[in-house]
Amino acid sequence: MSGNSPNNKKSIVDEYVRRLSKYASDIKFIDDTLFAAIPSNSFREAVKLVHDEFDCYLRTCAGVDERPVNGFFAMYYIFGDDRNGLNIVLKTYADPSKQVFPSVTDICPAADWCEMEARDLLGLEFKGRQQYRLVLPNWWPKNLYPLRKDVPHDIKPKPSFTGERVSVGRKGSSAPIPVGPYHPALHEPEYFELYVEGEKVVDVKYRGFHVHRGIEKLAETRMTYQQIPFLAERICGICGFVHSTCYCQAVEKAARIDVPERALFIRSIILEIERIHSHLLWVGVAAHLLGYDTGFMHSWRIREHVMYLAELLTGSRKTYGINLIGGVRKDINEDKIPKTLEVLSIIEKEFARLVDTMISVPEIKFRLKETGILPKEDARKLSVVGPTARGSGLDRDNRRDLPYAAYKYADFNVPVYDEGDNLARTLVRVDEVFESIKIIRQLIEQLPKGPIMAEEIDIPENRMAVSLVEAPRGEDVHFVITGYGKPYRWRVRAPTYQNIPALKVMLNGVMLADAPLTIASIDPCFSCTDRIVVVKSDGRREVLHLPSQWGGMGCSRL
Amino acid sequence: MGWNGLFKTLVKKLGPLKALIIASEAGRVTRKYPFEPPLISEEFRGKIEIDENKCIGCGACVNVCPPNALTMEQDNDTKVLKYFIGRCIYCWRCIDVCPTGAIRGTLEFELATNNIDDLHEMVVHEVVKCRVCGKPVTTIAMKDFVLEKTRYAEEYIDLDPYCRKEKFIKAIEGRFGYREQQ
Repeated sequence: MSGNSPNNKKSIVDEYVRRLSKYASDIKFIDDTLFAAIPSNSFREAVKLVHDEFDCYLRTCAGVDERPVNGFFAMYYIFGDDRNGLNIVLKTYADPSKQVFPSVTDICPAADWCEMEARDLLGLEFKGRQQYRLVLPNWWPKNLYPLRKDVPHDIKPKPSFTGERVSVGRKGSSAPIPVGPYHPALHEPEYFELYVEGEKVVDVKYRGFHVHRGIEKLAETRMTYQQIPFLAERICGICGFVHSTCYCQAVEKAARIDVPERALFIRSIILEIERIHSHLLWVGVAAHLLGYDTGFMHSWRIREHVMYLAELLTGSRKTYGINLIGGVRKDINEDKIPKTLEVLSIIEKEFARLVDTMISVPEIKFRLKETGILPKEDARKLSVVGPTARGSGLDRDNRRDLPYAAYKYADFNVPVYDEGDNLARTLVRVDEVFESIKIIRQLIEQLPKGPIMAEEIDIPENRMAVSLVEAPRGEDVHFVITGYGKPYRWRVRAPTYQNIPALKVMLNGVMLADAPLTIASIDPCFSCTDRIVVVKSDGRREVLHLPSQWGGMGCSRL
Repeated sequence: MGWNGLFKTLVKKLGPLKALIIASEAGRVTRKYPFEPPLISEEFRGKIEIDENKCIGCGACVNVCPPNALTMEQDNDTKVLKYFIGRCIYCWRCIDVCPTGAIRGTLEFELATNNIDDLHEMVVHEVVKCRVCGKPVTTIAMKDFVLEKTRYAEEYIDLDPYCRKEKFIKAIEGRFGYREQQ
């Protein structure tokens, strides 16, 4: 926390500017974000400097079709420096005739997916790495790049359903055990192939992207600024409010809109209610996966109080629909506050009792403890987020590190456990429920009076901003470039995107029966993420090796 | 192990049975729903209702509707506001923006039906035609609404925007004695 004092922060920013000015022609510092435009020939050195020497991790990267503005394609790599509360955005251009960018996957492996996503959706090429199709289905016509500005949003190429072959076993191991395409407990489309030796999992393969919905294109073409919060809310069925808050914050930051204090407090309160309901849901699902359905039933019974509270405060059990750019739509009246506090104390009391009972069941403890271990070094290397990181001893929480909404007015602890097993991740979530209750109580007490909506909402063109929100599963990143009447570019990175690669470490060596729980222990949300990765037993990450029937998508070793 | 130790071990072993106490205290939490009122709060956002008598067909709700559940269709004689419940996300943005308060929110959520036509609602407006070119300009209800607010709108309310511009230019011409060169 020492790095967050203003003086210290300024000297750190100066240091960044001094070191980066060797490569960059144009460096701007706005709020907490450093923007630097770097020519493509020295881009790799700049990434190396930021990623290795400043020890920043990659939040995400985004390809943008800037041809209507300046005739170039651009790639934005967004890095994060949590200890100092900074975002670093490095931008590079490519020659419009060739559209070839230098790949940085050998410096930061986390860029693998987003580079391939840019290749699929914008037709950009990346030099110095294996390239393959990631997001779009196999039958999608070549040379049709949906995110380019000259491609209409309602284009519908004729699909040809060729089907996909699953691979038939690896050398030296038994036949793969498929989990999916619907997860047995989470009811979402994803596909895991577990390779086992006896009862032990030795390798796993993940195939996602069954539900790529083209939300970014839809927002950039068909919707207006104030309609997108409702679309953003539908990115995720559990943490929807996180996405709409993150989008609104990004636009507010870009347009420098002053959001009234009361609106910020309401956002924080609803975000914490969402966290409680998400964690209670997860505890229930985990109990169900362990075969302890009593825990599942009672966890969801307690959750029902939160759902009712959410409906009382926002008008809906889920997809609250109260976020708009500039504030919120629905006020928390005085007469709802006693009811809120009553529900909070019910949850606090009942959940403490339930956890106490659950932990006393020896089978639960036995199966959570020392299964699905993610060591701290691996967690840092993969820069995992949320309870997955905090369960492995990484002390990261955006609510504290880069405070947004009204979190700077609340005093709370960030639970961190060092064990890195399923029990640690469970305990982080259990503790967070109590911390969230504490935060809501403090915020309700301090709730300021005043308007809930900014009076003037004027969004100038061609501004950009990065916004972060700590979702129940981890850090959610939205990157917005403003345009006329709607965003020019809106990029979403959901938390599960960062966490899925960690499954390769967690699943290595667990018993087959513990695999579903271990997969669920990162609280995955496939619908938000939908990426593709392969997990190797020797600890190397490899992009899914596809047989030639799949169209020769090749594989790359990182 | 003495009696005390034995008792402690027993309590520890019987720990999971605390679930029985929790369950008996919680009792039955599900409801016999169709026979009992459902668990919804007074703030619940359900289906919307459009009051045909108040609606003026201005299209403000159509502009803000995120999922295009509200659409406007116009032909030569009518302007129709269509509401398709199948697309509605119950955000009530239309209620926020309606200038006449014609849209009202309800607590209704039991919308399942065998006939898709039950999910369509529409408000049909008659249109006012331009007195010069005969093109549809606005709805009769909209005209009355505007006239109530501003009396002098009478001069131009039934003119097509293009004809309105022509009229304005002619008036300027008459005032300054300028004639457009042909």
